[in-house]
Amino acid sequence: MIRSFRFTSLLSAAKPLRSFACSSSPAIEPPQCSSSSSISLRITHPKTPLFLRAPSHAAPLSEVWKWHGWAKDLASSVDDNSSPEDEDSLDSILLLRELKWLIEDSIEASDHHHPVIITGTETPRGDDGEKKSVKLRASLEELYDLWRQRIEKRRPFQYVVGCEHWRDLVLCVEEGVLIPRPETELVVDMVEEVVRGDEWFKRGVWADLGTGSGAIAIGVARVLGGCGRVIATDLSHVAIAVAGNNVRRYGLEGMVEVREGSWFEPLKDVEGKLVGLVSNPPYIPSDDIPGLQAEVGRHEPRLALDGGVDGTDSLLHLCDGASRMLTSGGFFAFETNGEKQSKMIVDYMTSNLKDSFSGVKIVSDFAGIGRFVTGFRL
Amino acid sequence: MSSLIINRSRSRSVLLWKTYGIKITSIISHSFTDSVSSSGFSSSDSTRSFKTTSSGFESGKISNLAFSRNSFVSTARTLSSEAVPVASTCDGLTVERIIANQWPILDENESDWKSHAAAIAQSIQVIKRRLQWKKLLVRLRMLSVELNKPHLWDDPTHAGKISREHGSLTGKMKGVMTFERELLEHIDMLKLAKEEKDSELESETMSALKEMRRVSKEKELEALLSAENDQCSCYIEVQAGAGGTESNDWAAMVMEMYKTWAQRRKFSVTVVDEMPGEMAGIKRATIKVNGEYAYGYAKAEVGVHRLVRISPFDSGKRRHTSFAAVAVIPILGDGSTRVQINDSDLRIERFRSGGAGGQHANTTDSAVRIIHIPTGITATCQNERSQHMNKASAMAVLQSRLDQLEMARQTAMNAQHTQSLTEISWGNQIRTYVLHPYRMVKDLRTNYEVSDPDSVLEGDLDGFILSFLSSSLDKGDDEH
Repeated sequence: MIRSFRFTSLLSAAKPLRSFACSSSPAIEPPQCSSSSSISLRITHPKTPLFLRAPSHAAPLSEVWKWHGWAKDLASSVDDNSSPEDEDSLDSILLLRELKWLIEDSIEASDHHHPVIITGTETPRGDDGEKKSVKLRASLEELYDLWRQRIEKRRPFQYVVGCEHWRDLVLCVEEGVLIPRPETELVVDMVEEVVRGDEWFKRGVWADLGTGSGAIAIGVARVLGGCGRVIATDLSHVAIAVAGNNVRRYGLEGMVEVREGSWFEPLKDVEGKLVGLVSNPPYIPSDDIPGLQAEVGRHEPRLALDGGVDGTDSLLHLCDGASRMLTSGGFFAFETNGEKQSKMIVDYMTSNLKDSFSGVKIVSDFAGIGRFVTGFRL
Repeated sequence: MSSLIINRSRSRSVLLWKTYGIKITSIISHSFTDSVSSSGFSSSDSTRSFKTTSSGFESGKISNLAFSRNSFVSTARTLSSEAVPVASTCDGLTVERIIANQWPILDENESDWKSHAAAIAQSIQVIKRRLQWKKLLVRLRMLSVELNKPHLWDDPTHAGKISREHGSLTGKMKGVMTFERELLEHIDMLKLAKEEKDSELESETMSALKEMRRVSKEKELEALLSAENDQCSCYIEVQAGAGGTESNDWAAMVMEMYKTWAQRRKFSVTVVDEMPGEMAGIKRATIKVNGEYAYGYAKAEVGVHRLVRISPFDSGKRRHTSFAAVAVIPILGDGSTRVQINDSDLRIERFRSGGAGGQHANTTDSAVRIIHIPTGITATCQNERSQHMNKASAMAVLQSRLDQLEMARQTAMNAQHTQSLTEISWGNQIRTYVLHPYRMVKDLRTNYEVSDPDSVLEGDLDGFILSFLSSSLDKGDDEH
């Protein structure tokens, strides 16, 4: 019963809010909410990603092969259709890799056919394809549609499959929530380093502002290892629902509390008490928004991207708030737009807020771009 | 029913040992001094007390190589790692003599004990050669000496390594010796049955011999994979030679050959790193092959593979020769000592960087390249779905590459371990695949050849691998 309920629930978004569409354990209670500003009753129901759906569709192997051949051709054809000067074009190599992952997520593995083998380089032999049937987590029709959306509509792959692999996590994502970026994984690495250096950080309260899918909050909670607490805030209902769901999926209800509201507003009760503050706020200058890569500009929420005229509106607000919210010795890490913005933030913190922080520095991402600003509350 | 035989043979065998104890001792002491001198020990070293860790009790001081009859019997029964008795039947038949008798080996369905015995004895000989028997015994004695040093455990890593190797070699030695003794006991039992006209016992023993004959073939194969690290999983890397599209396509064919070979062997395969060619094929790729003995088999594939065919990329339909180089890296188990990597020695890069990154870019590409600055060794991974996992996967490759480098360095230092297998260098051409003007795959090391290249390219490689492993091991021991 639970299984079929789960499956149908994704088809109707109007299900009651506390059904456990994605929960790994239906018995687990949703996060305890302390104030009225927490999870509100306006919450929307999060979608179920492909890989968590029941394998309730079946198709002959030959039909799956046909779909795969079609999808491969479509992916390979993008190179022919784009001019080399066009910066914002699809890359067929990446698309083929995504296709492999789409198969992993949508075809049930069995002893007889591992998803990769089904569509590997092996060509269909004999009449095998007619006889054998494959269990799918979406109908073939939907798979055709999803792949078309990916290539023709430039819908981000992560929205297509409904999840993003981030660090060692698999996070549910959907339209309305920023897809966590690889760069942001490093925020958790930095927290891990700080925590390893001083156990004190493990026992205090952390906050992740503008949590989106809940990625950083969940990553930090796992680094804290059971004793700490993380409060994740977001202004968006969708984000609150998705983050709450991800927190439940990782069984972290006791550690991560999701609160709805703008930046520090839902955090009045912990003012001056935070031992850590992390955020990946919107930081793209408004003028750059129209020129964004199609997947980002057309599909991801502007709320999570647009950082005002020079992109620093939210970051500066966070800097001011950090001095008020962090307890003495508390750590902060913010992601920025890159080199130039990082320098601006460091300048602001070391001049306007010079009595509040120490050890303010820029940390680079793996591409060598000065991506993060970190430091400690004096 | 077989337990009955064993019970009966056990009680008898004690008697056998006693009766023939003296003769056995003399053979032992002979071979013992032999190997002691070859290992370069002075004779005073051999008066040290030995510990039979394999059987878990101390056999006491062996003050002289000429054992007393009784003490020999006891050590032989527990198969001490130091005394290597030569087992024989009541009438003095040994494995060596069985071979010397050159009894004809008939079909295994023929109920002829001599034929069975000859076949099994031959297998034992092959197994011993493959295990490099004499070297194994010398090594075992050296390890026992080492294990008995009083301050051994002051260095637990070293001690652990020594005792692990000792345990593993003892296990191999015991396995062969038990098998050998079992053969001779069956022969005795058979003779007894004939004397006593016990036809039931006779037929039971005969079928036991037949079973041993089947098992001995399996043991021969097992012995091929008895080198250190053979049981490990491994990485297989294929790199295209010069020649652009033509050789990129060949490299992809070679990689595909290994993927299907591994799948047939029930190993799991994951692509770690893959750099596609501009037009077709791959410039290089790394796969991880997970499973018992993956490295033991795959190591036989190291070297350059050459293809001759009419190029599908040449509009002039000319014949082309392409090359692809194959490297195989063992993934050492947790028990092995692995190279320590300092974080400060690493540079981590995003492989395919460019653009503003961060929120600007939504890409599923999170490839990572790790550079180990002191050695210049790099590792790349782009097939995982998160940067974190790509990094972890690339680190694992880097670790294995550094481990292999360290092993190569130690091998070079330790001439004793220099075997034909480790002499294979990256640049050696090992096999030719001809698709035109005739069709053939030939291994240049063993001259093993097959006239159906398609089956080989579809992963039917075991013939090549086993013939190479056996030829290199069988040759290896002759040299000593």
